[in-house]
Amino acid sequence: MRKLTLLLLSVLLVCLASLAAAELKEAPMLAELVAAGTLPPVEERMPVEADILVVEPEDEIGQYGGALQLAWKGSNDRWWAGKMTEEPLFRFKPDGSGVEPNVAKGYDVNEDATVFTIYLREGMRWSDGMPFTARDVLFYWDHLLTKETFGKSIYECYYSIDPDTGEKALASFELVDDYTFRVTHKYPSAQFLERVAIDNKWLFAPAHFHEKVLAEFIGEEEALDVAAEWGFNDIASLGKYTGYYYWTFQQIPTLRAWVASNDHEAQKFVMMRNPYYFKTDTAGNQLPYLDQLDFNKIQDDSHIELGVLSGDVDMAVFGVDKFTILKENEQKGGYRVLNYGSTDWTSFSIQLNQTVKDDNLRALFRDIRFREALSIAVDREEFVNLVYDGLVDPIQISIPEGLVNYQEGWAQRWAQYDPQKAADLLDEIGLPWDAAKEYRNNPDGSELTLTIHYGSNTLNDMGTELLKKYFNEVGLNVNLKVLDGALWNEMKYNNELEIAVETIACFNVTLRPETVVPVRVLTPWQGHYGEWVATGGASGVEPEGDVVKILDAWKLVSSARTQEELDRLGDEIIKVFAENNWVIGYAGPAPKLAVFDARLINVPEHVIYADEFRDLGHARPFQFSFK
Amino acid sequence: MLRFISRRLLVMIPMVLLISVIVFFVIQLPPGDFMSSYIAKMEASNEVFDQNTIARMRAQYGLDQPWYVQYAKWIAGILTRGDFGYSFSYNRPVWDVLSQRMGTTLAISLTTMAFTYLFSIPAGIYSAVKQYSFGDYLLSVIGFLGMGTPNFLFAIILMVISYNWFGDPMLGLVSQQFVNQPMSWAKLLDILKHMIIPVIVIGTANTCGLIRTMRSQLLDEISRPYVLTARAKGLSEKRILYKYCVRAALNPIASTIGWSLTSIFTGSTISAIVMNLPTQGPLLHQALLNQDMYLAGSWLLLMTVMILLGTILSDILLAWLDPRIRYVKAR
Repeated sequence: MRKLTLLLLSVLLVCLASLAAAELKEAPMLAELVAAGTLPPVEERMPVEADILVVEPEDEIGQYGGALQLAWKGSNDRWWAGKMTEEPLFRFKPDGSGVEPNVAKGYDVNEDATVFTIYLREGMRWSDGMPFTARDVLFYWDHLLTKETFGKSIYECYYSIDPDTGEKALASFELVDDYTFRVTHKYPSAQFLERVAIDNKWLFAPAHFHEKVLAEFIGEEEALDVAAEWGFNDIASLGKYTGYYYWTFQQIPTLRAWVASNDHEAQKFVMMRNPYYFKTDTAGNQLPYLDQLDFNKIQDDSHIELGVLSGDVDMAVFGVDKFTILKENEQKGGYRVLNYGSTDWTSFSIQLNQTVKDDNLRALFRDIRFREALSIAVDREEFVNLVYDGLVDPIQISIPEGLVNYQEGWAQRWAQYDPQKAADLLDEIGLPWDAAKEYRNNPDGSELTLTIHYGSNTLNDMGTELLKKYFNEVGLNVNLKVLDGALWNEMKYNNELEIAVETIACFNVTLRPETVVPVRVLTPWQGHYGEWVATGGASGVEPEGDVVKILDAWKLVSSARTQEELDRLGDEIIKVFAENNWVIGYAGPAPKLAVFDARLINVPEHVIYADEFRDLGHARPFQFSFK
Repeated sequence: MLRFISRRLLVMIPMVLLISVIVFFVIQLPPGDFMSSYIAKMEASNEVFDQNTIARMRAQYGLDQPWYVQYAKWIAGILTRGDFGYSFSYNRPVWDVLSQRMGTTLAISLTTMAFTYLFSIPAGIYSAVKQYSFGDYLLSVIGFLGMGTPNFLFAIILMVISYNWFGDPMLGLVSQQFVNQPMSWAKLLDILKHMIIPVIVIGTANTCGLIRTMRSQLLDEISRPYVLTARAKGLSEKRILYKYCVRAALNPIASTIGWSLTSIFTGSTISAIVMNLPTQGPLLHQALLNQDMYLAGSWLLLMTVMILLGTILSDILLAWLDPRIRYVKAR
């Protein structure tokens, strides 16, 4: 048995120390409700003293009050509201190295990494005042997740894998007591908590709510009535929106700092403070500081920019292409622009579909000399100056220094502009010139055209035009094809993309492998290898060559027992990926521009903006405050 | 007259059905369906899908069936239950989605229409009567500028001016602090302030055209021999102008009023997007982009009905306005 983690102890110590010093305080708007007798006193709303999560504010103790003005495009932007308010069981530490308890109070794990005992907070409550207990976790597991009530297959993190046979075994959950539950894996699962923190942040659901809507409890007919009442067409939709996208519905209790308070299709969707939130600052003030989040509906992304410039939007995130306009108006608009890190490996790259249908193209895309030629045929200096105003580095796709599995020298690989060598490589492959000596043909004499697929935006439009110019210069005929999102996806799943403009982002390949390891159809360079792996060979294209090496290493990841082993395997995978450069990058990664109203305090100067860390949620908005 | 109207109404039914088939077919034409655009959107937020889930969701929404089966279900729902189907992207019945924006749409459109007609008809009359005066030239210049400038560009220009002068581009229909608030004098004032740009922008395009039409029609009429006769018989100028000339000159305006019924909804889509107005136009635009076909289909169906009704309305108006047309019909 491993002891309680050091981190858990320190959290507890901070809790005890602070509680000795101060008693609980609450927002004025809640104090009014308590005085009026409509809300229980704050002590009864929060977990027992020792179990309150005490948060050290970024800069200083904040003031209660204020509404944060945000922009969104309506319920299709639900993740924007969802990620910044998310309360996972375990969350990633600020620097991204491993997880720390959040909704959970702590955990124990045995030496084999097979049995995880997870402790919850005594006295913690849902936003409607009902107790939050281990029953809610078990309920989620038994009735929502394993029954696929909300339409998602059981997440990969709940499977452990036999290192010898590759057999997958589903974990089992058991209730220990009201505030403790145990997860048992058949085989070691060293990264279980990290993987839960990525795959299934909310491993809990309000049982008392779902028992009133799920067909399992109230019968099909009754459930259909409930669905109709909520405006849904069928039970499956009801399940999806109440069990998965639950945070935009005011009827559903959550554990978040702010909870939905009106219809999410309204012109302004408002999330109000949760009176039962389980965190305080170091002075015993119940969080959050901000009273409410206002999501104002917009029709077009450009309205976010306009809103920021005119002071109507208090918080937003932009790509590097908005750098100039944001910086120019920083004083006038009354906001701050912060450079947040990202897990991007590049900001402009092309992916060569390794399973492309055309035989000539497939042979070409799999030829490493061809990829080298495409890489060195481009003058990256000129490229980044024209497309990115020189704001990013003229380098190859590569893992930024400081992230796991950083590879020395990858950034400079094939990054030197050398059209002569590129032409020589193409000659060596045997691509003959056509009669007019304008373009090259396939080795069999047929016409060769490279099709670059991309989604239209300012950067992609400029970037692809430039690529076309460079590729033409070495005799490659290029056809640019704009696709909208739906068509892009359709073609991706049908293995019809050829050269796709899409970047790679990944903070740790052993935790989120999809972009590098073909585990399912998602990343264009992998084409239909992912289909093959996901369907166990029933359809798709059988992996071959170095891709097999990656998959072999990936198989060992799930059964690894130690962090060293994991790091070594991750490195192995990345090395193969870097050697092959199936994805060619032409511009180094760019920061995310996070814009905050200048009056907002406790905003961290730098965090990594990544989905795994829940984007802006990683900046901990629950302790933001207006000066 | 009654027979004429009822016959026209009857002919409308097969017409609407035929158009609805074409509409539905065209919506289905682009590659992909709602699921592929939905997945593309959610994948952009890093939500993970596997093949099984996608297939299951397709089946759940009936997207795995051929388009004519989907059409049959949809049209049957409308005819039997008045159910316009279900909007995938809003996750609620189509009718709820449409009616949510009906109020704001009508408010903006009717104000704009009132502005258009109340301004352009008198302006047209004035330019015709005072031909080649300073006022006529001024109205003509404004008219040509208004007709020549694309609406959305005009909207952007006015927004930039508003931002530079007042620090607020006047996005939307009401300031953020008033949304979700009950109606009050302050809110009404704020709405009126926000209406200025949309009304000018959406209004001018039509206004300018109408001024030109009114002017040239009236000029035609004024030089007709019957005007001379009337004058010789001693009728007052006012009576000649309003009772005879203007009435005749309104002819082309009345025959186009049917189309403006539909422009209540569509006339301002791009401008509405630019100005962030919560009206029907942007709704259709989004529905088409998302391939939210029942929403788009119902919307276009409504539009069809609106155009056909408008045409009938125009015919009736014309017959009422112009005795010559009435006599031909009666024969």
